Amino acid sequence: MADIALAIRTENLTKIYYLGWGRRQVGVRDLSLAVEEGQIYGLVGPNGSGKTTTLKLLLGLIFPTSGGGEVLGEPLGSPRCKQRVGYLPEGPYFYEHLNAPELLRMYGNLFGMSGKHLETRIQELLELVGMWSRRDMRVMNYSRGMRQRVGVAQALINDPDLLFFDEPTAGLDPIGAKDIRGVIVRLRDEGKTIFLCSHLLKEMEPLCDNIAILDRGQKVTQGSVTELLAGEGHQYRVEIRNPDEELLGKLQERSDEIVWVDEICRAVFSERQPAMDAAAMVEDDGGYLLDVGPDRRTLEEVFIEAVGEVSPDATDL
Amino acid sequence: MRPIYRVARATFWESWRRRFLNGILVFAILIIGSSWVFTYLQPGAELKMLIDVGLGSIRFFGMLIAVFLGTRLIPDEIEKRTIYTLLSKPVTRTQFLLGKFFGGLTTVISNVLLMGITFYIVFAIKAPQFAQPTEEGPAYSMEFMYANVAKAILLSFFELAVVMGIAVVASVIFSWILAAIFTFFVYFVGQMSEFFGHLADPDTGASPIARYVLGTVYRILPHFEKFDVREAILTDVPVVWKYVGTTIGMGAIYVTIVLALGYLFFSQREV
Repeated sequence: MADIALAIRTENLTKIYYLGWGRRQVGVRDLSLAVEEGQIYGLVGPNGSGKTTTLKLLLGLIFPTSGGGEVLGEPLGSPRCKQRVGYLPEGPYFYEHLNAPELLRMYGNLFGMSGKHLETRIQELLELVGMWSRRDMRVMNYSRGMRQRVGVAQALINDPDLLFFDEPTAGLDPIGAKDIRGVIVRLRDEGKTIFLCSHLLKEMEPLCDNIAILDRGQKVTQGSVTELLAGEGHQYRVEIRNPDEELLGKLQERSDEIVWVDEICRAVFSERQPAMDAAAMVEDDGGYLLDVGPDRRTLEEVFIEAVGEVSPDATDL
Repeated sequence: MRPIYRVARATFWESWRRRFLNGILVFAILIIGSSWVFTYLQPGAELKMLIDVGLGSIRFFGMLIAVFLGTRLIPDEIEKRTIYTLLSKPVTRTQFLLGKFFGGLTTVISNVLLMGITFYIVFAIKAPQFAQPTEEGPAYSMEFMYANVAKAILLSFFELAVVMGIAVVASVIFSWILAAIFTFFVYFVGQMSEFFGHLADPDTGASPIARYVLGTVYRILPHFEKFDVREAILTDVPVVWKYVGTTIGMGAIYVTIVLALGYLFFSQREV
């Protein structure tokens, strides 16, 4: 680990909210993270699990009760680290009287940017998020999706090395969400580090290199997506949609286990060749073969296993 | 300086979009613009009526705008979450606090300027008649009056800067409603600070503890009555620049102390 450059490092980061009358609430507890540079790191968890609290702690918007950390080698919330960081808050709000270029100009100025360089950057970013043609509209007339797009643009204004995105596709239509995911991947390919918070597991799964799952303020599991989604041991699976009874019987004879997920039948095999043979048999019998390959769990399965079926919104002490 | 300017500029334009404050301004301008009507209510004291209604309205409505704007500036940023995108950029909390203060102050100054211009026009139209003797009384000497009115408006700017400073800082410490009540209280008690000074005088015969408490209150309170020069205008005594400068200097020191105190609280404030 010593040779790996870390964009974010926290040690036992803890935030307790004091609610008055002796009541306290855990924001996050003993959170230790190590986010390598150049990767997309996902922080997932149910509502109230501490994702946004973690982001606010990393950005210095709130202060830890105990523990600490570094962002880009600087103390949490330090002005030097803010020069190299971009942040998209959840459901971003902006000054209503401004239009997108004015807004980005204001944020650019805060980074000491000005002149032609800033104007070029503004156009580049508004084109990237699909807002250039609507650049004259005032924020007060924006839809939620438009605010989100401009939010992404403002987070990128300073060409940051590290980006914090809190629910980046919330409120976006499918095309908008796809566009933003494309931007995130592109940023990673440019060598930037992206720290993503979301509860949209299906989005996080293909995007993230590493994931940590938070529950009630505590990290319950973490690892690379490949590690987390890998099935038990070295198993293989064949997935068929609604096999008839005869085909199902044959699969039961050959496989180690049959698992049903809605209308999909998943036959699990301990070795590769029997799985491939079973797949060929399904096709020969006219079955609807969906997938064949190493057994891989979905992030949702990993998440439910880690968090449990019932997830309280918050944790009182 | 640039972050302070950018935050102040955004605050200024956002502040002008607050309809409630615009309503106060329009109402104030209507009252000030029609202040000459009030002169007919008190024959023989027309000038006093004109000055009291005109300059009094500027101070009162300016104070209302300063309190309601100042106590909402930072809570609104937190409530609307615009503060997240600002403080995650290279903007220190000091810069943010100063930006909000100066943005709000610029709004108040522009409001006072509009009210002041309105009053000055009314005054310039109406005042010449007071230079003539009437049945109710002798003519006023108008030697210093125009300059005094301008100085009175200038002093109002700085009085409201102190009010704005107290309002902004109080909103960092308390909820905005409590901050507004606190600022109103300080404003009205501050109008009587000289009274506390007199009570703390050894000649009053008060106990040493009472004198100490009253003396402390006198020293802590902003001396708002010093910004009120209506008496000098009515007696046509020149408001000398030394007095204006000293009063403005006192206000500037008070604002600096209040903002420094605000920084201490805001640097620990979670958003």
